[in-house]
Amino acid sequence: MTVSVDLDNRPSLSFYLSVGLVAGSIIALQIGIMRVFSVGSWAHFGSLVVSLAMFGFGLTSAVMCVGKGWFERHWEGAVKGALLAFGPLMVVCNLAAQQVPFNAIFLISDPMQKWRLLANFVLYFMPFLAGALYLGVVFLKAQKTFNRVYFADLVGSGLCGLSVLLAMYFFKPDDLIMAPLLLWLAGGVLWFVAMGDRRGIAVIVGVAVLSAAVHYAAPPLLGIPKLSVSDYKGVSYARKFPDAQRTYERASPFGYLEVYSSSYLHFAPGQSDNAAFNVKKMPENAYLGLYIDSEGPAGVIKDLPADETPYFRYLPMFYPYLLKKDPNTFVVQFGGGISTAVALKSGSRHVTVAEGNPALLTAFREDRGLRAFTGDVLNNPKVTVIDYDGRLYVAGTKNRYDIIDLSLADSAGLSSPGGFSIVEKYSYTREAMSAYMRALTPGGILSVTLWNKEEPPKSVLKLYATMVAAARDVDGGKDVAQKFYVVSSYLSTATVLYKRDGFTPQEVAELNAHTKAMSFDEIYYPGLKVDTSDLKQILSDYHDQFFFTGEQADPTGPSEKEPNDKPPPGAPGAPTEAKADGTPPTAKVPATVLGRLAWHYLINGGWQKEVADNYVFDTRILTNHQPYFAAYIKVGDLLKFTDRLELVQDEWGYLLLWATLGIATIFALTLVLLPVIFGWRTIFSRYPGKAGTMLYFLCLGLGYIIVEVGMISHFILALSNATVSASVLITGMLVFSGCGSFFSERYLDRARTFMPKVFLAIFAILALYAFTIDYALDWIGTLPYALRIALCMLLLFPPAFLMGFPMPTAMTTLGRLGKDHMFLWAWGINGCFSVIGAALVPIVATSFGLPAVVLVGAFAYLIALPAFFSVLMPLQPQATGVGRPSAA
Amino acid sequence: MKRRTFVSGTAALAAAGFGSPAVAASIKPYSWDLNPPTDTRENFIAWGKARGEDSVFLGQRWDRFQALLKNKDVWGAATIRAFLLTPREEFASISAAIHKRAYEHAFLDIGYGVTMSGPHIQGRMTNVIDVKRGEKVLEIGTGSGVQSAYIANLTENAYTIEIIAPLAARTRALYDKLIDKGYTEYKHIKTKAADGYYGWEQAAPFDKIIVTCGIDHVPPPLLQQLKAGGLMVIPVGPPGAQRVLKVAKTQGADGSITTSREDIYGGKIVPFVPFTKLDGDKIAGTHNR
Repeated sequence: MTVSVDLDNRPSLSFYLSVGLVAGSIIALQIGIMRVFSVGSWAHFGSLVVSLAMFGFGLTSAVMCVGKGWFERHWEGAVKGALLAFGPLMVVCNLAAQQVPFNAIFLISDPMQKWRLLANFVLYFMPFLAGALYLGVVFLKAQKTFNRVYFADLVGSGLCGLSVLLAMYFFKPDDLIMAPLLLWLAGGVLWFVAMGDRRGIAVIVGVAVLSAAVHYAAPPLLGIPKLSVSDYKGVSYARKFPDAQRTYERASPFGYLEVYSSSYLHFAPGQSDNAAFNVKKMPENAYLGLYIDSEGPAGVIKDLPADETPYFRYLPMFYPYLLKKDPNTFVVQFGGGISTAVALKSGSRHVTVAEGNPALLTAFREDRGLRAFTGDVLNNPKVTVIDYDGRLYVAGTKNRYDIIDLSLADSAGLSSPGGFSIVEKYSYTREAMSAYMRALTPGGILSVTLWNKEEPPKSVLKLYATMVAAARDVDGGKDVAQKFYVVSSYLSTATVLYKRDGFTPQEVAELNAHTKAMSFDEIYYPGLKVDTSDLKQILSDYHDQFFFTGEQADPTGPSEKEPNDKPPPGAPGAPTEAKADGTPPTAKVPATVLGRLAWHYLINGGWQKEVADNYVFDTRILTNHQPYFAAYIKVGDLLKFTDRLELVQDEWGYLLLWATLGIATIFALTLVLLPVIFGWRTIFSRYPGKAGTMLYFLCLGLGYIIVEVGMISHFILALSNATVSASVLITGMLVFSGCGSFFSERYLDRARTFMPKVFLAIFAILALYAFTIDYALDWIGTLPYALRIALCMLLLFPPAFLMGFPMPTAMTTLGRLGKDHMFLWAWGINGCFSVIGAALVPIVATSFGLPAVVLVGAFAYLIALPAFFSVLMPLQPQATGVGRPSAA
Repeated sequence: MKRRTFVSGTAALAAAGFGSPAVAASIKPYSWDLNPPTDTRENFIAWGKARGEDSVFLGQRWDRFQALLKNKDVWGAATIRAFLLTPREEFASISAAIHKRAYEHAFLDIGYGVTMSGPHIQGRMTNVIDVKRGEKVLEIGTGSGVQSAYIANLTENAYTIEIIAPLAARTRALYDKLIDKGYTEYKHIKTKAADGYYGWEQAAPFDKIIVTCGIDHVPPPLLQQLKAGGLMVIPVGPPGAQRVLKVAKTQGADGSITTSREDIYGGKIVPFVPFTKLDGDKIAGTHNR
């Protein structure tokens, strides 16, 4: 039986626990769905689907606002219904969504994909709607003690967010949905305990068992996948090889790691084509394929016998070993271990290797199969392992190295569906590069190799500009022209060598001879002559490749643009140009010519004005504030690409951010304005300060999430890992804000005088953090890991605690003033603008840098200050307010 | 949709024979002197119908041919003939939805994580390697089979290797079905289900090699099996945004072998020209979205 409960008047502990656990279950579901997308298809779509699913809160708010009376009368039934639906919906909708997978790479070319994407949105939206309905009704019923409910909501979300990360050790991604299901079950049982509803307990336990049974039993019975991994993910290809065997598998918050063996796996990243004619014995069956979240492969290399290592010479990462004999070597990122193997087999007397992913280190250190295959490379006496980011180690160590290597660490660089992810690449920033340069012995060499598979070139130009900028920061920036040697291979790799005391002419000659032997292209060396007259034409040709506006060239006759239009090669009459000195014509590749010109202007000045400003893509350097090999489309050109998206398929990750922002804004405004349209003259007519209140909750929604998401990117600086950073941030922010919410109750009566101080303090702290937190985080990053997490939490505490005040103070005030509709509406505004804020962060970060993100958050709180007074306006007597919308 | 279009479209789908048993010869068998007209759409369709093909797809083939010409994706007479003789629709007969999109400027999903490249990039690659009759051509990555189908119109010696065994079997069966139907040019294609990394040593050396699979380096065995003076083309990058790498192998007077990497257009950056969209048998819009 059900007992009557007054949620405004001392509800039981089990009620608060229920709110915390169900709210936590919603967070856990978000994280779980993102993991499903990361492993099955594309992480960016996971974020998109989850962001939009969070509009469940907006929709609930709008509906409840319009139908408040009904919800007040039927609140117990509404909560019960929402609760009982939430769990089963998670399981069923997730399974259903897995049966309609969509593929990012066909999104534009295949009309069916749009509908599949829509189906995914709708399916994943359903459970969030149920969860939001539960919270909405509970908030409505407890509005006078909102601080405490909100405390339970935030702290529950924070702790459950952490618990789902721990659950990643126990559940593989295809079963991770069990984590939110368990949290929901616990929250549901506690709800019925609080309500004294024993039958409810029995029902929800039964529903939970049934849901779990469906998740585990339905897929094998119906022959459907639990998690559908796209055929286009790297691991799907490996699984199809006839002799493929999975030799290692481990799920953890650091990714779902799999290792496959197959004779069909071949790695030699960037190998010179000339190896074919000069290497007597290429190793066979020498590799395992390493996949993280189904992405890859990164090659794991066997401990090769001496007669199979000569091909190392043909890899671009071999360059520094030409000049350095018996070096003390530092490998910035272990990855699959190829750089470490090359270092060991090329005569290094000692190799220090760093790896920031603990799951990788565990695999290579503990798995018997991997240890045997790699000759136990990480336990080799000549190898020292640093178990955090190489960038952080190098910045803090007093050790000096003859060679520092950062080569193709991430993956085999095969075509990745959907293109670049917007992820922080702190190992490639100007700050990191200058740290590597400073950690070199006087004659030491930094060698950085990157994939050069873009045409027009993008990543490599950023790398070139970043490395020159870093070199100018080191040793007074003297003689930079003497310190670089750069080669590339068309549509393969580019390697930049930096020698701290400069290359001698003999060294340049030796390197040039090697480059010739490899058939690589020289891009820069001290003394290289470059014909700058090509620049203008190349830049305009690259522009025309996307934005040609003239008449189409007539292939049968000369056109204005291309007089005597040359026939394509292979066609009769294709030109062959021999050089003046009689050497055979070198392949004329515009990307290579542009690379040489880039270096000419980088070294001699004029890069920005002559090249970067006129180039079709953005080539800004990577810094700790903008650590992205992504967002190459200049913001001004965005709209121009909308009808030619297939030309920039590798930019879809970035374009998707804009699409998300656009969709989120439309959704949010619709939901926010819905109650207004329905009830401006009726429901809201008595409420003064509508516009101000809306602005207030808009600012809080935007501000909070912007700071949270922006800080996740910042904190990777110290924590080296996106997953850990996200978990620390989610947990820290929500728990500390929950505490703030709890404490805010004490100041409720003095809110008018107290809250302005809070807003000013938040603004001041955030503004300070925006510009200084990097220094703190850089230092924290050099400390032991547990201490790093503790100090990060400490840094988070002041702003997060204070940011817990404004929302519950205003909500409780609305509740106590009897502005019930506005209470619900405000909650919806906050939710909707959280989605917009989350979508805004990566755009602001890529366009203006991470400090700008935190500053935007800071200003949101500053703007909320005056708007707060609108919230405090009391209800007008009905007689005076009817039919007259009041100004804020 | 016009009823006539609908009826012939349905007939075409039926002819593609989803799940149907082997078809009796209905196509005029191949010979090297088959020469489809290139003057007008009507003449081409009439000629194709006389060979036994479907007029709707013939119309789409002609329209796409016009777009290829405009964009300089085909320019040689032999490649043009190969394009006009190749029924792309047969190679896209994976499902009804894919089948009807055979001539779109788009890469199509043919299962197994493999795409059938669009006609523009295929035309360009085919033309660039400039296959002469009698030359040996090796393709790594059979996929839908359409690339080798073009080659089969250029030389009697086409070899193709597919790494995914069930896909290799499916495409082999398709070639057999088409040969039975009368497309005897596909007898020029030798197929093999194997790891293409090691090439086809028994048939080596090759004059031209096409590699259509993701690689982090050019497989040395393929470079070894390429004749001196031969050409290799490799599409690099994600489908839809692929750039074609051309590797040339040359032997110096002293016998030394060198390779060079080139842009497919030899240093010329090709301006973007909006493609025409085929809507049924009509050209609609300026760009295929």
